[in-house]
This record gives sequence, structure tokens and C-alpha cells, in this order.
Amino acid sequence: MSNLVVRKDLSLVATGKQDFVTVMLAGQLLGIPVLAVHDVLNAQKITKIPLSPAWVAGVLNLRGRIVTAIDLRQRLGLPPREEGQASMSVVVEHDEEPYSLQIDKVGEVLSLEDQDFEKNPVTLDVRWREVSMGIYRLKDQLLPILDVERLLTFEATNKAA
Amino acid sequence: MGGVDFLSESAKRRGKAMDDLLNEFLTETGESIDVVDVELVKLEQDPNNKEVLDNIFRLVHTIKGTCGFLGLPRLESVAHASENVLGKFRDGELSVSEHSVTVILESLDCIKEILAGLEATEEEPDGDDSDLIGRLDAIAEGGEAAAPVAEEEPDTVDGEIIDPTLGRSLKPGEVSLEELEAAFANAPGPEEMAGAAAAPAAATSASENETGSLFDRVGGEDTLAVSAHLISQRALASDTLKKFFAGTTQEQLKGRFMGLMLALFKDDIDASDAVGRQLVNVSGFGETQFDAILAMVKDVLVECQVDADTADEAVMMFELVREAVINASKVVAEAKPAAGKAKPGATEQATATKETRRSTQSIRVSVDLLEDLMNMVSELVLTRNQLLQITRNMDNSELGVPLQRLSQCTTELQENVMKTRMQPIGNAWAKLPRIVRDLTVELDKKIELEMLGADTELDRQVLELIKDPLTHMVRNSADHGIETPAERIATGKPEQGTIVLNAFHEGGHIIIEIKDDGRGISAEKLSGKILEKGLASEAELADMSEAQIQKFIFHPGFSTAEKITSVSGRGVGMDVVRSNIEKIGGTIDMVSAVGKGSTFSIKIPLTLAIVAGLIVKAKDERFAIPQISVLELVRASSAENAGENDHKIEMIKDTPVLRLRNRLLPLVFLNEVLGFMTREEIDARENTDDFIIVSQVGSFTFGIVVDQVFDTEEIVVKPVAPILKELEVYSGNTILGDGSVIMILDPNGIASMANSGVSDNAGDEAADADLVRRAASSEKETMLVFRSGQDHPRVVPLSLVARLEEIDVNEIERSDGRLMVQYRGALMPLILSDPSMKLVEEGRQPVLVFSDRQYTMGLAVDQILDIVEDDLDITLSSGQAGSIGSAIIDGKASQIIDVAYYLGQAFPKWLATADNNDEVSASDSMERLLLVDDSDFFRNMVRPILVSEGYRVKAVKSAEAALDLMEDGERFDVIISDIQMPDMSGYELAETIRNGSAWEDVRMIALSALASENDVNRGFEAGFDDYVAKFDKDVLLRSLQQQAKIKGDAA
Repeated sequence: MSNLVVRKDLSLVATGKQDFVTVMLAGQLLGIPVLAVHDVLNAQKITKIPLSPAWVAGVLNLRGRIVTAIDLRQRLGLPPREEGQASMSVVVEHDEEPYSLQIDKVGEVLSLEDQDFEKNPVTLDVRWREVSMGIYRLKDQLLPILDVERLLTFEATNKAA
Repeated sequence: MGGVDFLSESAKRRGKAMDDLLNEFLTETGESIDVVDVELVKLEQDPNNKEVLDNIFRLVHTIKGTCGFLGLPRLESVAHASENVLGKFRDGELSVSEHSVTVILESLDCIKEILAGLEATEEEPDGDDSDLIGRLDAIAEGGEAAAPVAEEEPDTVDGEIIDPTLGRSLKPGEVSLEELEAAFANAPGPEEMAGAAAAPAAATSASENETGSLFDRVGGEDTLAVSAHLISQRALASDTLKKFFAGTTQEQLKGRFMGLMLALFKDDIDASDAVGRQLVNVSGFGETQFDAILAMVKDVLVECQVDADTADEAVMMFELVREAVINASKVVAEAKPAAGKAKPGATEQATATKETRRSTQSIRVSVDLLEDLMNMVSELVLTRNQLLQITRNMDNSELGVPLQRLSQCTTELQENVMKTRMQPIGNAWAKLPRIVRDLTVELDKKIELEMLGADTELDRQVLELIKDPLTHMVRNSADHGIETPAERIATGKPEQGTIVLNAFHEGGHIIIEIKDDGRGISAEKLSGKILEKGLASEAELADMSEAQIQKFIFHPGFSTAEKITSVSGRGVGMDVVRSNIEKIGGTIDMVSAVGKGSTFSIKIPLTLAIVAGLIVKAKDERFAIPQISVLELVRASSAENAGENDHKIEMIKDTPVLRLRNRLLPLVFLNEVLGFMTREEIDARENTDDFIIVSQVGSFTFGIVVDQVFDTEEIVVKPVAPILKELEVYSGNTILGDGSVIMILDPNGIASMANSGVSDNAGDEAADADLVRRAASSEKETMLVFRSGQDHPRVVPLSLVARLEEIDVNEIERSDGRLMVQYRGALMPLILSDPSMKLVEEGRQPVLVFSDRQYTMGLAVDQILDIVEDDLDITLSSGQAGSIGSAIIDGKASQIIDVAYYLGQAFPKWLATADNNDEVSASDSMERLLLVDDSDFFRNMVRPILVSEGYRVKAVKSAEAALDLMEDGERFDVIISDIQMPDMSGYELAETIRNGSAWEDVRMIALSALASENDVNRGFEAGFDDYVAKFDKDVLLRSLQQQAKIKGDAA
């Protein structure tokens, strides 16, 4: 389903290119559609929320707005961040509610050709397959694209998490 | 075919512009209908009130007129039919009856329904109103039946309009399909107003029918010219009207009327408005004058051979310019204020001017915009707080001044924006008179709805949320509470029941009381239901007090009505009301006396947006707890550190509890609830000082143990993200002044987590504990124990103490040899409670603050020891100044201080006023009270309070003494009596007085420490009118006012 959406989107773009912000998470490069990104933040003071699901890192204050921080490592089943390791976050919106995705580092903005896009391999980890729109073949590595909507559709994943 | 195409085309063209128009119409009509609802109920009670009737008629008329203009046939026909009936009322052809009002109300409901459909789909919903219209017509005709000729009227007058689609002659209220289509086609889109009436529209439908547009039916330009001539002639000849057309020649006036009629009958609203404005150029032209013109227009049209219905319709059209004409006159009035000589129309002119001003000084703003504004201001407040916090740590004076200014502006802005959201609670009540009225009809009861404090303001968001619960509760009161007239008479009550709604502010909250004088809630009946539903066992019920059983009505899925009426008892019970109120951070409570009625009281915060929150800490995280749910704070030491008088947490098996004033308070550890620590870890802590937040959820009181308590802060509540919604321990989150985000705890959620869903039972247990405590201490008084100067403790009834304060010694000043302190913006005298005591050298001096009327004084004491509940067994002292006597309190001999003495010391005037009041016997306006109490203490305590409230008080020591006064022929307005007295009890006194004595009709209030249900009921049986727990000063005073009012009403 999700790759179809992308194809449809792409067909609207005359150049056949899409822009993505790349982020680094536990050594893995990920892409987020650039239009989905509202803000990129350095490390912030995060207030923990006791009793919340493990992948909710807490809440933070973004210029007077309360933003829910999502621990992307937890969400994607990656090992927790090491003590003292730097962290950044990318703010996205879902249903008009701001969420900050905790990542290690923000990379660059890439403009990628549609032809390099491929569906998720069927063997991909279920947790990844769920939130990945598909994969771009870069020269030296592969770039899974995060489906922000699905990532933040918690109702469906609440039970799984 | 082409016609059909055109119609859809024109409908399309009307599209967008119509939306705005329609929206405006919906809002306005909705408001009008609400007003009509209320006014109709008024009318029914007072059928001769011309003003009310006129108002209703005008509103319904306007609705009808606008519907016609917008092309809403269904609405128009219903409105027309009810207007017909109203018109007959107005002309005195019909008298206002319950039946007719019911049917009109029904038509309003029908209109509302259509409006709702319109709002949803922008089209009139389908439906058949012919039954309703038929009934309305029947009523209208019923009135005419007296005049037999009128029966014929529809036929003779409407003779030519036998509707081809209906195949029958139209009823008076009905509008033919053609006419409607014509109206529809003629209603132009605003962008092409002028051309709309032109050929194509007429070609589709109107041309098929000679009735056509109004213009044609009236008889075209010729008729209009004649009528205009006649009207102008008569207007200038009329004594009442000619002065408004002074300086206008008949020819000019004729031109104006002609233009106006042309514009109106051709549906050219813009033009007619413009012409209307020019019609009158002298000030003072008001509703009455306009009505006179209308009458004239109608007469003239009829004379010109226009049939009555068309003439009526033509006159209706004039309504469209009513406002324009009258306003134009007002404008003239404003333009020439100097010329405003005292003419007969002067008063009218004055009110008219005021109205114009009002209308120009307020505008409609969408609620969304206000919400946005509010959100933005909330952000601004937070940012301001952050800025202040940052600059506080900086030595940059440059920022200081502008920041100060910014801060001030922000505060003012916040206040003002809050104000825009405030609405009188009366708005939420607007529908209630109608509902109660409908109920009286449906249930065949007589009920009066009294609404007090309708202008009490609260946040509109809160208002919206309490509307339904309130409505439901009033319904309940009317349905279940108030008895049928027969029952009421049988129990000696007036036939008409009363439901009193009362709203008032109290310390940042709004209290809404719903009180009925009905049958009360029968615990027996409830018990049956409880057993039947298996909510409790018989044994459990046996242990419960009446109040506890009554509280079961808040239990989910409980409905007490024996027969389920269409009114209430739809399965939506008081539990829903309760949960709705709790959802907005409010509480609900109920007191009910069988046979006397029930009182529900709801306490809700003024606003949801900004609340006071107590900041607490557990582990390393800070949390906010809404202040509304915090009853008190207690500091508890760990068992090993605790001194004898310290509070400590104790365990019953694994359940932590706290002894608090001789009562066990269940505790929950926040650390445990939030999963920071396990119970073992908590137990393993050493040397801890915990803080316990005593909190109340419904009737369940419990303590939340936290590590630390910080300050109270104003917090802006923001909802939590959707993913956190399921966490019931949080009610929201907020940003503090330092910029950090914290979670707001929800005591409801904590309680239910702690109880794992049995909060109701727990609540009853708590109530149970409460009750046991009360029963055991029925003779007890809550006393504040303190020490000053001498060794023995001193006590004062807690109810007399306004506040406990600790005042910095450095702030205490000496003036004129007296100690003063600045307190809450005023100078407060400070009195030493004992001549031998000294103020502390440094630090803070404990002070008891007493307050009486405008007098506030501080009583400095050495140490506040405790608050105890104990028997009051007073032995009178040898008259030492400042002391009432001694008593054994908590096992120690204690001296009870005389507050009046100290107040007298602080304010020599206080005693003077108190005494003077006592002496004034000439003033008859004052209520005379008789206070009967065997306790010197209470007589001494209560009397000054009553005297200071302006009552003339006679105090006697026994019931016998009171009866002696009666023998002597003394008269009193209210008797306040103790219950427990030697020789003759208060019950006996009341029975004696009520049994045909000279004081038989004197109101009586029982004032007693015995306040269990049985006692209260017994008191009522004995003949007391009210029952006040001893030393509830406020309740006593309120009760006195009530009794005085009842007496006044009866007189």
C-alpha cells in the first residue's frame, strides 16, 4: 500500500525526484520526506512520563508547544543509545500533533531519482517493514524511507508495543 | 425543460453568497427561537402581558419573513401557522391556553429540527408538517369559531388559490407551492439583486400562475400609485404621525412610499433598505409609529381591492425595513442631540438611542477565533514567565523596565481575553424554563423554577460542558423530586413545587445548587433497588447511613423512578452527570431529607484553561496536582523519627494509612503508582520525611504520598498527546515558568488505580468512616489548641478562626502603642493572647486571624498545638477577661478564649457596634431572634455573631425561659434553639410551640451538635423549619436569611 502512495506522489512531480532528510540512527541511515520535517533540534531537556509506553521518551517544550518525544530506537527495536552519546531530534506532525523523533544525528538533504526506489524486501524485519515506505538504492548504501504517518499511528501498534 | 435548467443554474449561482446568508440566518434564528421559548413560558403564566406577546410575535414574524426571503418553504409554513395563532392572541381573538402554547412550542421544536437539518445539509430536510400546521390552524380557527363568518374566510378570500398540486383549498397558514417557487425564484443571489426579479425567473413558475409575484398580485404599479397617494395623505392627516413627516410635502411622501413599496414587493431588499432609511427624517419614530403605518398600509391596500392575504403579505414585507426605518430615525436623533426638546417621544427616543449604541458596541466574533486568542495568550503568559525567570538571574537593568511593562500588558491581556470567554451561567439555563414547563404539562405537576445568580459568569467552555448535566438534574428534580399536586397537598405542602437553581462564586470556583422541595430521596426505596441490582448486600445496607444509601444514585446504572417516564429514567443516570462533572475537575454532592426535598451542589472551576496547581516531586520528577482536588497537606515523618505529636504513616498489613484527626486516611505512594519504586523499596527507605496530599475524589478522601512539595503555580492545562490519553493518572501537561514541561496528575485516575476500579466502594467506606466519626462525636466540637503565655493550653472553636498565619516578626510594627501588621493590603491590629506572652525574637510569629464583618484582627500565640475534636464540657471560669471558661480538652484542662473580648480590644468600635445593635429596639426593620441554648459558651459565641449581622437577639438559657417569654407576649421572627437541653429538649420546645401556641407560626431553626439523619428528621418532625449543625456560622446565617424570606413571602 505505502509504496503505491509514494508512486502516486512521485508521478505528480515533474522531475521524478523526491527530497529526503537523512538521519543516522544506530549506524543505519534513514530517510524522512523533507516536507514532513518541521524542525530539527539539538539535544533537549526531556521530561519523562512514567507509565507511558517504552518508545515514548517523554515530552519537551518547543517554543511553547508541548511535543511528545518518540524514542525511535525503541520503536524500531534498536539497542538503546549509549550513555553520553549525542542525540538530536526531528520534529514531525501527525494529526496536527507535534512529535519529536529522537535520532543520533541529522545528515543532509538528498534529492533522489524515482527510478532508484524499490519496495521493501519481503524478508525485512516486521517492525521495519511496518514503518518503511520502501528503499532507495544509493551508491554506497541503502536508504529506507520512514513512513511518518504509520510510525505515529499508535492505535494500531499500541498492542504490539 | 429550460426552466428546470435555469432553476438549478440559479441555485448554483446563489451558492457561496447563500452560505454566508444562511449561516447568519441560522445563528440569528437559533437565538430568536431560544428567546421565544422562554418568552412563551412567560406568556403562559402571564397571558395578558402585551409586551411579551408583542416580542414573541415580532420574533416569529421575523423568522417567517426571513425564511420566505431565503426560500425555505417548510420553515416558512410552520412559522406562518404559529404566527397566525400568535396574531390571534395579540388581537385578543384568542386567549392564551396551555394547549395552544404547547402546540406553538411544538412548532418551535419543529423549526429547530428543520434548522438543524439546514445546518447539516444546507438544505431543508424533507418532512411533513401538515399535521402540526393543521393543529395550529385548528387553534387559530377555534378562536374564530365565535365569529361564524370567519369560518368562511379561507374560501371567500383564498377562493382563487385552490392549490393544483394539493388538490384542496389552502389552509390559512399554508402557502401554495407556486407561491413558494415564486419566492424561491425571486429570491436573488446578492450579486444580482436587481435583476433577479426579472423575466426568466418569473417565466419558470410565476407566469404560469396569475398570483405571481407580490408586485403582480397587489395589482401592479397602478394600485401602488393609488395606495401610495392614500397612505401619504393619511399619514400627513394623522395626529400621531404627521409630526414625523413635518417639512415633507405630500408629493414627496407619496414618492417615498411608492418607491418603498415597489422595492419591497419586487423583493429588492437593498433598494428598499435605502428607501426605508429616507422615509422618516424626524427623530422619535419608533415601533408604535411603524405599526401605525403598517395598519394604514393594510387598510389602504384592502381598500384598493387587494385581497386580505396578499395585503397581509405586503405588510409582512414592510417588516423587512422596520429596523431600517426606525434606526434611521434614531440616527436623526443622534445627529441633533441639541434639538432634543422634551417631546412626548423623548423617553422612547432615549431608549432607542441606547439600543443603537449597544448594537454598535458589540460585534459577533467566531468562537474559534476566541479560542485561538486564548491559546495564544496562554503561550504569551508562559513565555513572559520564562523571560521573567531568566532576567531574575541576570543583572541587566536595561531589560527590567520594558519587561515590567510587557509583563503588565500580558497580565491585562490575559484577564481581558479570559473575560471574552466568560458568559453568564444564565445562558446555560435559558432552556430550563421551557423544559420545566413542558414537564409540568407532561407530568401534570405544578412546578415553579426559581433561578438565582443567573449573571454569575464562567468560562464558556465550562458552560458548554455543564449544560447537559444541569439540564438532566433539573429534569430529575422535576420528574422524581417534586410530587404530584395531590401528593403535595396530602403532605401539607403547597400545591406548587419549587426548584431553585442558585449559582455563586466561592473562592475561584462556581457553586451551582439545584434544590427542590419535593419528596426527597427515600433510602428505603433505594435499598430495595440496591438489593435488586445486587450493588450491595442486605447486611452492608444495614450498616449504611441514609446519606450513604442516597449516594447510590451516583452509582453507575441506577435509576430510581418507579415508572420510567419519557422525561428521565432513560438509563442515563446521575452517574453520567457525576462523571461529566468530574471530567471538568468539578465535584458533586447531595443532601436529601425525605419529605423535605433534595439539594444537589456542584462545584466547578471557573475556567479550564488556567488553573492553580500544586507542584510536587516524586523520585526526580516534578508533577502538578490541580489545587481544586487538594484538601490539605500533611507532613509525615518516618516511624522511627516521629515524635509523639507527629504524623506518621502506619501499616495495616500492607495497607498504608495515616491517622488524621482521629480518623484513618488511606494512602497511596506516588512513587509506587508511577512505578518508580516497589513497595519494598519504599519500605526500605530510611529517615524519610514524606508529604501527604490529602485529596478528595467524589466522596472518597485519600492521601497521596509524595517526596516533596514545592509551590503553587498558575498552570495552563494542555491536553496530552493522543498516545498518552490512555494513561489515566494524567489529566494533561503544562509548561512551567522555567520552561520545563511537567505532567499534571489526575487524582481521579490515581484513586482508581490505587483502588483498581472499586473507587465507589472505597468512597462509601470513607463516608462510612466519616459517619462513624460524626456519630461518635455528635457532642463534639472541632477546636484549635494553642499555647500562649501560660502553661495550660488554650482552645478556640475552629469555626471562629478565619485563617492561621505565620507572620514575619520584622513586619510587625508598633503604632500608637499597638501592634499592627500589614496583612492582605490593609493594616491589621495584632493582639497578644496573653499579657505575659512575648513575640518571638526573630523568625515567624504564629497568628490566628479572626474576621468579623469589616474587622480583621490577628491574635498572636506562642504555638499552635493541634486541632482536636472533643467533648465540650465547659465549667464557667471566675470571669477572667478573655476567657469563657475551662474545659477538659484532649485530657488536659484548657482555657477557652473569648474571641469577642479580643475583637473588642482590637477594635473598641467593634463592641460598640455590637452592643449598640443590641440596644436598638426602636428599629422594627430588624429581625428579632430568640436564641435558646443551655450552654453559656454557645450563647456567648452565637449571640455576638448574630448581633453583628444586624439581628436583634434575645438569648435565654432554657426552653422554659423561652416559653415564659411567650407567656409575656413577646414576639420573635425566628427562634434558634439547641436540641439537647436539660429538663425540656429542643424537640419538646418545638412541639409545644407548634401545638397551637401563640408562636405557632414563628420560624424555628434547630442548632445542634446532633446532626445525624435521624436527629435532623426528628427535628423536622418536631416542627423545626431548618436544622443547622452547631457552629456552622455561615449555614446558620444563610438559614436565617432563608427563613426570613419565607416568612416575608408568606406574609
